[in-house]
Amino acid sequence: MASVELRNLTKRYGSLAVVDDVSLTIEHGSLVCLLGPSGCGKTTTLRLIAGFVEPTIGEIRVGDHQVSSPQRSLPPERRNMSMIFQSYALWPHMTVAENITYGLKLRKIDAATTKQKLDAILATTRLAPLASRYPGELSGGQQQRVALARALIVEPETLLLDEPLSNLDANLREEMRFEIRRLHDEYRYTTVYVTHDQSEAMTTADVICVMNGGKIEQAGSPEDIYDRPDSEFVARFIGMSNVVRGKRLEGGRVDFSGAPLRVSNASAGSNGEAAISIRQHAIRLTANEPAEKDNVIPATVIRQVFLGASRDYLVEVANGTQLRVVTPAGDAVSAGSTVWLHLPYESCRMLSA
Amino acid sequence: MTIALRAQLEDRRTFKLDLSVPLLLTFAALLCVLILLPISWLVMYAITEVDPATKARVLTLAQFRTLFSDPDLVEPLITTMIVALSSSVVCCLVAAPMGWLVARTDMPMTRVIRALVTASFVTPPFLGAIAWEILAAPNSGLLNKLYRSATGAEMDAYLFNIYSMPGLIFVIACYTFPYVFVLVANALDRIPGDLEDASSILGAGTWTTARRVTIPLVLPALLAGALVAFLQAMILFGSPAILALPAGFHTMTTKIWSLFQYPPKPELAAAASLPLLFLTVMLLRGQQMILGRKGYSIVGGKSGEPRLIQLGWLVVPALIFVFIVLMLPVFLPYFALLNAAFSPIATTLVTPATFTMKNFYFTFFELSTTHLALKNTFILGAAAATIGTVLALVISYATARKAIAGHRILGFLATAPLAIPGIVLGVGLFLAYTRPPFVLYGTLWVLLLAYITIELPAAYQQLQSAFRAVHPELEDASRILGATRLQALRDVTAPLLRTSVLATWCFIFVSTVRELSAAIMLFTSETKVVSVLIFDLKESGDLGAIAILGLSMLVLTFTVVIFINRIPGFGGSGLRNT
Repeated sequence: MASVELRNLTKRYGSLAVVDDVSLTIEHGSLVCLLGPSGCGKTTTLRLIAGFVEPTIGEIRVGDHQVSSPQRSLPPERRNMSMIFQSYALWPHMTVAENITYGLKLRKIDAATTKQKLDAILATTRLAPLASRYPGELSGGQQQRVALARALIVEPETLLLDEPLSNLDANLREEMRFEIRRLHDEYRYTTVYVTHDQSEAMTTADVICVMNGGKIEQAGSPEDIYDRPDSEFVARFIGMSNVVRGKRLEGGRVDFSGAPLRVSNASAGSNGEAAISIRQHAIRLTANEPAEKDNVIPATVIRQVFLGASRDYLVEVANGTQLRVVTPAGDAVSAGSTVWLHLPYESCRMLSA
Repeated sequence: MTIALRAQLEDRRTFKLDLSVPLLLTFAALLCVLILLPISWLVMYAITEVDPATKARVLTLAQFRTLFSDPDLVEPLITTMIVALSSSVVCCLVAAPMGWLVARTDMPMTRVIRALVTASFVTPPFLGAIAWEILAAPNSGLLNKLYRSATGAEMDAYLFNIYSMPGLIFVIACYTFPYVFVLVANALDRIPGDLEDASSILGAGTWTTARRVTIPLVLPALLAGALVAFLQAMILFGSPAILALPAGFHTMTTKIWSLFQYPPKPELAAAASLPLLFLTVMLLRGQQMILGRKGYSIVGGKSGEPRLIQLGWLVVPALIFVFIVLMLPVFLPYFALLNAAFSPIATTLVTPATFTMKNFYFTFFELSTTHLALKNTFILGAAAATIGTVLALVISYATARKAIAGHRILGFLATAPLAIPGIVLGVGLFLAYTRPPFVLYGTLWVLLLAYITIELPAAYQQLQSAFRAVHPELEDASRILGATRLQALRDVTAPLLRTSVLATWCFIFVSTVRELSAAIMLFTSETKVVSVLIFDLKESGDLGAIAILGLSMLVLTFTVVIFINRIPGFGGSGLRNT
């Protein structure tokens, strides 16, 4: 069946490489997220897969067939893919039912089958009562579900989603995330999902590709990306991480503001600089000096904010580096006090340069 | 099921061909023929002459030497500049305060005023000129008669003489001031209220704000309007032909036309067309530069409603001013035309006793060319509107969606006719289509080509902005589900553009019906159109028939536009865009 493979895919506009030598294999039936800030090339990658854009270098293969190369590109209508657009792109002059069955009409499916498939998808997406409405009369979440139904009814080999939830409010976004995952598990098409929201990626994806500057920085399972970021960019982008710098010491330790920190992924250390990421939640903050001295460092509280379920601290260590620490709401220490930070070694990760 | 579906899909793949690229290329070629061919012939004629010995064409600058030395040709050039400049100034002096009053003050009846400005806009200038002849010809003009009977002046005394340079300037200004008005009023409409509020909060009074903030902000629009007015006055044929020729002077357009009268001097006419073409290009460039300047574009996000200035008692003089201005292009001329239509003598006020249908009868049942002209006008209008709309639709799609390489050139070609005055295009088409391989002169085809070329830029610009309003993802969505580019166009884009397309159709139809300056160069006795017939009747002095024809031309226009808008499913108003 249809896996999707990108080989050395590059798209240049003038001298600017928007997608820069991207290689990626998406197994059949898996859901891959392209995650990155705006302008990182993720949407262009998706449009390359869809066939709206032709590559400058490299190729895209679906199953055994080459669908895109600089010489020859299959037009989008012949790729048997579906796509959900950021704007939903529902046709305002067609009813919900007309929107959904459009792809079937193009495929010249007979009326009875069309009706049967329409009813099935309307039930799945809970749109049955709205079938004869026009898109302009629907709420955002309903429009989103129409877009989903329209894309799914043609039983595509590949489903592409371009920031599908960015126009929804927070509650609905959460609900639709699980909906997309549920439908994916039900139909098992190969899915490529583009988003800039890391929690969206975490909840839906089998594999997350973090993109930056047209390149894939890191590809892996959500756990990999979250727990074992390879680069400073990934660590910062996946969020809630402090990245601190220090000098490498013998024995896999790093000197950070006078404290020799032990890290979980110590490589055979040469001398030089090292960057370490540590999650804001992982740091333990105490008002009194703890007995345990390993990976403990004193700091001064710059400010603290009560966030209801937690407290958000900004602290500064002796060398002037500032760190964010999230603690349980009960641990109140006022600004200006001295505190001790315990950075558990299993949470300290040395990053590649 | 899935398997069956896929099998069908494979089947379809082999037969489905993307026709869009060859189609678009065809249109590009068509545009080249439409625009480049006549202009090339024009330039060719201007710089060559027939060598009497060899009968071959040889390069020469003789035409240009004649053009710039023969007083018969230099004078029209100077006259044209004076007329265009003065009428442009008059337009600005009248239209700018009117635009400001309508857009920025609490003056009542602004909707009526805007509608009346539109009415003067859709009045064909040559019809207006004829109406003013009826009103202000030195001896027979209604206003002059009124003056004589009111003051008891001599029989040959008169108040106005429309057959004069000031008369011509006045009549041209009457029908070009709407350009300035629309530009200024739109610019004022767009200025966010915040900008004025910001000035007020810093301590400026209402009038200071208007003087220091509002007026400087619309200055570019006013300047652009002045250029457009200048341009219109310069390329107008009807009004000078009607008013300047009896007064014994020529403008460039009438001179070019007369060079085609017996004995024809096509080379000289071609050479005389080039300065007009050149000036038009320059003026349009100037206008683009003024309107495109970044510093003047309004920046900022959300903005409040503009605050209207309280006129207080000044509303009375303001309204009087506006209605006097509107009386001149609308009320008085239409009154004169209606009077002429139903009066035995055009320049005598009709009374219940003298009311007659004689003119009506004569025009429609005795005048042999009326039916032919009406038929030709209708056929040409409908054909030009249909073909022009389709052409503009395809080109604006190609440029808005960047569908083919070279779409920029396509867009440029589509707007290029904007820079070709009607009379110049007429000369070019005459030269291009009186010889093999395209002998079209004497047929309706050559008029059709002229109309399509003239109307293409406006149609293209209208549809271009309509395309921009349709999100490209709407088409993408259709394509990823299996539609070809053409299917996507048919199923998604076309229905969404229906209203704009209809408006464009009506716009071309209306403009075609009133076109005179290209038609006057290209008609033959078999291909007369109403505007040309009116011009002919003017030569024979048949004002009653002219009035009847002019009025029925307007009736025809409005009927068609209203009819089109009534067709079920064709909602929206086409008139709004005309």
